[in-house]
Amino acid sequence: MLPFSIQLQDGSPVSDQILLAVRKALLTGQMKAGDTFPSVRALSQELKISPTTAHKVVLQLKDAGWLNSRPGIGMVVTVPDQPHLAERLAQITPECRALLKEAADLNLTLNQVIAHLKSL
Amino acid sequence: MITITDLHKRFRKTEAVAGLSLQVPEGQVTAFLGPNGAGKSTTIKCLLNLHRPDSGSVSILGTDSRKLGPAQFTQIGYVSENMELPLWMTVKQFLDYCRPLYPNWDAEFEKQLLTQFDLPLTTKLKDLSRGMRMKAALLSSLAYRPKLVVLDEPFSGLDPLVRDEFIRGLLELTEQEGWTVFVSSHDIEEVQRLADRVAIINRGQLALDETSDSLQSRFRAVEVVLPDQARAPVNLPTDWLHAEQAGRTLRFTASRYTNDGSFVAALQTALPNATHPEIRPMSLREIFVALARAYRLEGK
Repeated sequence: MLPFSIQLQDGSPVSDQILLAVRKALLTGQMKAGDTFPSVRALSQELKISPTTAHKVVLQLKDAGWLNSRPGIGMVVTVPDQPHLAERLAQITPECRALLKEAADLNLTLNQVIAHLKSL
Repeated sequence: MITITDLHKRFRKTEAVAGLSLQVPEGQVTAFLGPNGAGKSTTIKCLLNLHRPDSGSVSILGTDSRKLGPAQFTQIGYVSENMELPLWMTVKQFLDYCRPLYPNWDAEFEKQLLTQFDLPLTTKLKDLSRGMRMKAALLSSLAYRPKLVVLDEPFSGLDPLVRDEFIRGLLELTEQEGWTVFVSSHDIEEVQRLADRVAIINRGQLALDETSDSLQSRFRAVEVVLPDQARAPVNLPTDWLHAEQAGRTLRFTASRYTNDGSFVAALQTALPNATHPEIRPMSLREIFVALARAYRLEGK
């Protein structure tokens, strides 16, 4: 059993899908800082993926500051220091603008878009 | 880990392997794919000195395959869909028989795999289901923690649950330094997530040898919408495979995609009137199907 929800699908690279699933689990509180994270072997066995891919994913999570290795325990989930809220929002502003434009073209209201975002 | 150089093997009139060269690197899972009859099993048997090559050479763990001895065989695990097992033995007798052959046999690991595979010790191999028998064969090939695991069509005829257990068992070894797997299959579906590398054999020769990452980054499924009544030009770029048009939609497989803008530029040049381009990554299975179609067309 993995501590985050994932259904691997064809099309996009497996490692991207896992990174997304882990990030989502952290956002929703399914996984929290201090939780132990599955080993490379557990990841590869549960998802039937190559150990090389599993290893790559763990390294990427570590580089992004989501995981920390603790001797004797293995990998532990950490939450990286967040930049200021305004900075983080600035990062997604272009996508938001594009989304609002598209929504306007489709004659959707802001509330309908928000409801849809929440349902994702 | 394995180096095959210009391997030839002929059975009477059929040339099963016709000049195959391939390198299997250490520390990766290499999938050896090809249609039935492409020469996969013959190649594997030449690797393990079960067949003598007519010409060419195979080196495995740094040793010529014709000189393989106990020192190498204790480092190689081999499971084949139609391997001969001593069917009159019970599972326990079979393991008792294998254990002394390998000085590196790990009894703890054997126990763990026995529980994991849920194998009945007192049943004779001939009375086991096909899946159970394959698990027994895998157990006897993993318990000594080999450096190289060679699997010949291990999944054919296994039900999904057993296949799952089989892969889990195989992946138990992953923490071993330099652990290498060479697995043949006629069905990419079975190995598409497991494979770091894909080697495709067609008519006894190597048709492709590439990492999964590189394949997935250069192949794209592309769809564009053409203006009313427009037909796609006949001479599209040659690296666009299997172009098909249905109504206004033109669909093809780009085999040399790069995301530096040159593909979009080529699209502009070849189809200046096309709109709504949709470019999506493909799974290994889809790529394999596209390649298999291309090989079949070449053969005609």
